[in-house]
Amino acid sequence: MILELSGISKTFALGAERVEALRGVDLALEEGEFAAVIGSNGAGKSTLLNVIAGTCRPSRGKVLIGGRDVTRWPAHRRARWIGRVFQDPLRGTAAHMSLAENLALALRKGPRGLFPLLSRARRRHLEEALARLGMGLEGRLRERVDHLSGGERQAVTVLMATLARPKLLLLDEHTAALDPANAEVVLEVTERLVAQDGITTLMVTHRMDQALRTGNRLIMMHKGQIRLDLGEEEKGRLTVDDLVSLFRRAGVADDELLLAGAPANGGK
Amino acid sequence: MALFIHAVEQGLIYGLMALGVYVSFRVLAFPDLSVDGTFPLGAAAAAALIASGWNPFLASLVALGVGAVAGAFTGVLATKFRIQGLLAGVLTMIMLYSINLRIMGRPNLPLLGRPSALALAVGTLHLPRPWGTAVVAALLALGFKLLLDLFFHTELGTAMRATGDNPDMVRAFGMNPETLVILGLALSNGLVALSGALAAQYSGFADVGMGVGTIVAGLASVIVGEMLLRPGSVIWATAAALVGSCLYRGAILVALRYGGALGFTASDLKLLTALVVLGALMAPALRARLKGETA
Repeated sequence: MILELSGISKTFALGAERVEALRGVDLALEEGEFAAVIGSNGAGKSTLLNVIAGTCRPSRGKVLIGGRDVTRWPAHRRARWIGRVFQDPLRGTAAHMSLAENLALALRKGPRGLFPLLSRARRRHLEEALARLGMGLEGRLRERVDHLSGGERQAVTVLMATLARPKLLLLDEHTAALDPANAEVVLEVTERLVAQDGITTLMVTHRMDQALRTGNRLIMMHKGQIRLDLGEEEKGRLTVDDLVSLFRRAGVADDELLLAGAPANGGK
Repeated sequence: MALFIHAVEQGLIYGLMALGVYVSFRVLAFPDLSVDGTFPLGAAAAAALIASGWNPFLASLVALGVGAVAGAFTGVLATKFRIQGLLAGVLTMIMLYSINLRIMGRPNLPLLGRPSALALAVGTLHLPRPWGTAVVAALLALGFKLLLDLFFHTELGTAMRATGDNPDMVRAFGMNPETLVILGLALSNGLVALSGALAAQYSGFADVGMGVGTIVAGLASVIVGEMLLRPGSVIWATAAALVGSCLYRGAILVALRYGGALGFTASDLKLLTALVVLGALMAPALRARLKGETA
């Protein structure tokens, strides 16, 4: 088992109010699974990813990665096994550094020493990796990352997150801030890179069509709990309309549903 | 000519300090005020050791070391204890004021008749008179510039640059950005303290008040150099810090010599320096306003 969450709860204090973002979540991901997580705003999807990545410590429950209890590990130690892509394309790369430098930092995880970052062999290796994106970026290794477009930058971020072959890839609405054409490209790149190395993936999305089309497992969250967990076969038979009625049955109000079902129109 | 040589000498000796400020301010994006304390710390440590008979090279090296420790201290305050960067620097600076007095035993320690690392190097290398000190200062400044350039192209150095840019990314690749900030501030303040140690030997005394305004002078050097060279890489950015430092020291020497005619005195220097930095920092906003954009 790559990932095991047991009894995860997270309560935030918002002024005098207490918000239960996660209420007893159990989830296990096996090697090679690609799970799409869907849910309305405030369902706890992002908190779930934060708990797994270690940027947020659960109030209760345990996080196991590769069978190891990492509940109390800081984020940078877990990062050895985890790749992560955020919604904001600016969060995954260092803007003032070159494409080559960004990618080279992503080649391996953990503390660094005083070796030169970019050797000739590494440059060639990175060029090949970029060429596999099929976006024509392989000739632009020396360019600064802030010269790339949002879509290019997010595709590079996905490549960086998978370059060191993590056990687990976390995607946090990573196409939501892009225009539809770029979102399509980045999603296609993601599926290709994940399939290439068989990386276990957890993808949060607010687009039902994306959740249905991508991956081999579908998880629906509502009010901090997992309400629905479908395997590849059941998921394959599902349509967006089926999903909407499943949402209704789970008690999601229609106005929340509209939000969740609306096609991406450039972020929230 | 003498003024020009002095500007180069001082510009390069203080240039090590400018390199240090470049590391904290530009690379780490950390406005570190500890330099106002670590510059005189380096001066005090070196002066006290030299006065008690130490070899001046060794004394300068120790100054670099204690400066690095003080910088790391600021880094620990800012990261492990979540104290705001500016405040962490101010706290270190104030502590160092007392510590520097302790080290010297009095507010001013003259080094007259004591050996200086710069003079010793000039003698050992048999350099001719008017340019000797400038050549030694240039070798030192360029040497440290080169070392910094090399460092910032290693895995560790690149990670440090990424820390100032995007700490989330650094964390995502399994490094602790806090460690990199502490390391970077140690590096920065080590250079600043070494600069202070050499400045004390150059001017023949260490004074507890010689650090006042170090950060502003360092920023002025970095910014003036950037405006002139518009660096697009580390190699040019470190060069810009050194060039900026020489220009800044030159401007000060000119102001000291000819400023009197315009009614300026040496005590107006800090005000003028701060105004230069202020002007450079306000320039982008002013330019935007002139173009009719509202910020």
